[in-house]
Amino acid sequence: MIEVARCLIRYRGLVWTLVLRELRARYRGSVLGFLWSLINPLLLLAVYSFVFSQILPRDVVSVEPYGVFLVTGLFPWIWVSTSLLEGCSSLTGNSALIRKAVFPVEVLPAVAVVANLVHFLLALPIVAVALILSRLLGYPIAGWTFVLLPAVLLIEVVMVAGLVFALSAVNVHFKDVRDLLGNVLVLAFFMAPIIYTLSDIPPGLAQVVQLNPFTSFTVAIQDLLFFGRLPVTGDWLVMAVIAVVSWAVGAGLFARLSDTLAEAV
Amino acid sequence: MPAPAVVLRGVGKRYRREAGGYRLRTLKSALLEGSLTSGLGAADAVEALEDVSFEVAAGEAVGVIGGNGSGKSTLIKLVAGLLRPTAGELAVNGRVAALIELGAGFHPEISGRENIFINGALLGLSRRVIEERYDDIVEFAGLSDFIEEPIKNYSSGMYVRLGFSVAIHTDPEILLVDEVLAVGDEEFVHRCIARIEEHLAGGGTLLFVSHSMGLVEELCDRAVWLDQGRSRAIGSPRRVIDAYLEGVAKREGEAHDRRRVRGAQQEQSPPEEEAAATAPAAEEEVLRWGSGQARIVGARLLAGTSAEERYHVHCGEAVAFELQVEPREALDDFVFGVGVKTPRGVDCWGTNTDLAGYEPRRLRGPVRVRLVCPELRLAPGEYTVDLAVHARDGRAYDYRRGAFRFTVAESSALRSIGLYLPDHEWQVEALPGGGAAPQAAIEWLSPVHANSGGGPRNAGRKAGAPSDSRRME
Repeated sequence: MIEVARCLIRYRGLVWTLVLRELRARYRGSVLGFLWSLINPLLLLAVYSFVFSQILPRDVVSVEPYGVFLVTGLFPWIWVSTSLLEGCSSLTGNSALIRKAVFPVEVLPAVAVVANLVHFLLALPIVAVALILSRLLGYPIAGWTFVLLPAVLLIEVVMVAGLVFALSAVNVHFKDVRDLLGNVLVLAFFMAPIIYTLSDIPPGLAQVVQLNPFTSFTVAIQDLLFFGRLPVTGDWLVMAVIAVVSWAVGAGLFARLSDTLAEAV
Repeated sequence: MPAPAVVLRGVGKRYRREAGGYRLRTLKSALLEGSLTSGLGAADAVEALEDVSFEVAAGEAVGVIGGNGSGKSTLIKLVAGLLRPTAGELAVNGRVAALIELGAGFHPEISGRENIFINGALLGLSRRVIEERYDDIVEFAGLSDFIEEPIKNYSSGMYVRLGFSVAIHTDPEILLVDEVLAVGDEEFVHRCIARIEEHLAGGGTLLFVSHSMGLVEELCDRAVWLDQGRSRAIGSPRRVIDAYLEGVAKREGEAHDRRRVRGAQQEQSPPEEEAAATAPAAEEEVLRWGSGQARIVGARLLAGTSAEERYHVHCGEAVAFELQVEPREALDDFVFGVGVKTPRGVDCWGTNTDLAGYEPRRLRGPVRVRLVCPELRLAPGEYTVDLAVHARDGRAYDYRRGAFRFTVAESSALRSIGLYLPDHEWQVEALPGGGAAPQAAIEWLSPVHANSGGGPRNAGRKAGAPSDSRRME
């Protein structure tokens, strides 16, 4: 697992080149091009805030303004879930490359995570605008705590990367993983306090939701951006432990399976 | 002496078969032991390579030949580091570029220019180095007009050209080439070969898989013949290629024999005497017919000064067509004939004892007849031989179409077109006039004779020599 990390650091230039390739290729040929990386999350946000503020009963969720709250949980989640989905098939989808070219395979899952992280970062100005507007409208939210966002993201990258390493390597042998993953992610989305807060649901249920490893990251980002408060030390600790375990398992599994990739993929 | 560039010691590679329900077990073995094939029995695994040992010295060019499925590509992939051997030891000393499938990392949606940078990065080049070599890469690929186009609009030839160009510009010490030259057009192939020769002239190492025996002979110092995963012969290209082609000819001959036996059995079902008169010569299927009053019981090709049985010969070599004939009864009218054809049925040469003026008197017992040619001047290619014993009016006693096949070796020193290859040489003399001094009227590099002992790096062959200079004797 240390080797995987060392390899990624050594080939960071290659990772970055491939990330740029992803970003360039994604919107080639579309009229709005790069703007889609902003429009997509906005449209999704519009759908969610319509459903959860107009169709479902308003009094379920206690936070105001709800749309802004949703942004701070939804955008990071989009990054995580697309990273997992794309990362999961990053090896099987590049089988031609893996069979034919000599290069460190580790970069492919990493590229999926980093490329989607870049998308998330590019969408952050929307979050910033939403927060600033809310402040100007007099809502008592947000604050200087946003400066700690990079710290949470750094820990979360490690966790997501570990998961992606594990998923991508196992997916080479069991293509079923990808299909299963889609459904698991839907469950994880609703079992994380993204469209609601932990205090909006019965305490018993809240304990279950807190078992979801994504919950602590979601809450930490909402704290820093929306509520303008710092996560307590325990939260940081939980996140760090989740990240380290995820990386250890994922990178270890990947290293174990990497020798057999070229012929199995 | 520098360390060898590539060392293989007893290298083996087994693949697992995917048919059957062994996935779970192999995943377990992959997790526990890091190998997909351990714990698999012989029925679940395929040996792609077995016990292959040889060394490639630094600066040496080694060709790998063999039929489809013989393990050539597996060997290249092992050396490239794409696969790991399941047995033996493999050491590679030096920076490797593997021209296996070109342009594997290309992304169809983005331009040729961006793809050069990405592919270069995948092959281990830094951005600065790629920038330095960018113009050379584009020029070599011949794509300057299309370099801003998305790759998806490229033709397959353009795709391969760009891939080759990027790979060759990674400045490798060891170049691995797996049959990629088969894709480009003539002009590009010439450019590639010139580039490979340049690589060799600069002291680079080459491991070259090809079905083009001429290229292997031309480029390589040694050759390895792989047959069903095992190395059958290692040595001078000429010798190894001969052994390989000999093996192919023999195998084809055996297949031919089997078909012939089937044909003969069909033919024997009607009463023999009647079938003879109405020999259905028009039907291609029947490869043997005749009354059976005399039968050809043996047929061989003998070649070389020692007259060994061989079906792979060189142009100009001595050969003898031999047939063994057994008369069923004493005959006073008999002719022996030999005809050489191309596989498509074009007559190249044929003769018989009647044409040669022999008058038959009596044939009472088995005889061995040989048609001896001190110098077979057939052009390189494949030939089939018809043998016959018949009456002077043409009635067949035994006619065997395609009794055996043989090949005449391709050799870079003997390139020509057609079937016939007489001794020849090119001569030129300057004529007065034209303003130039007589000795300046023409300039060219004379070819190097393949058998004059020179290797591929003789003066006349070095980089910059016009790649279309024909070598002839």
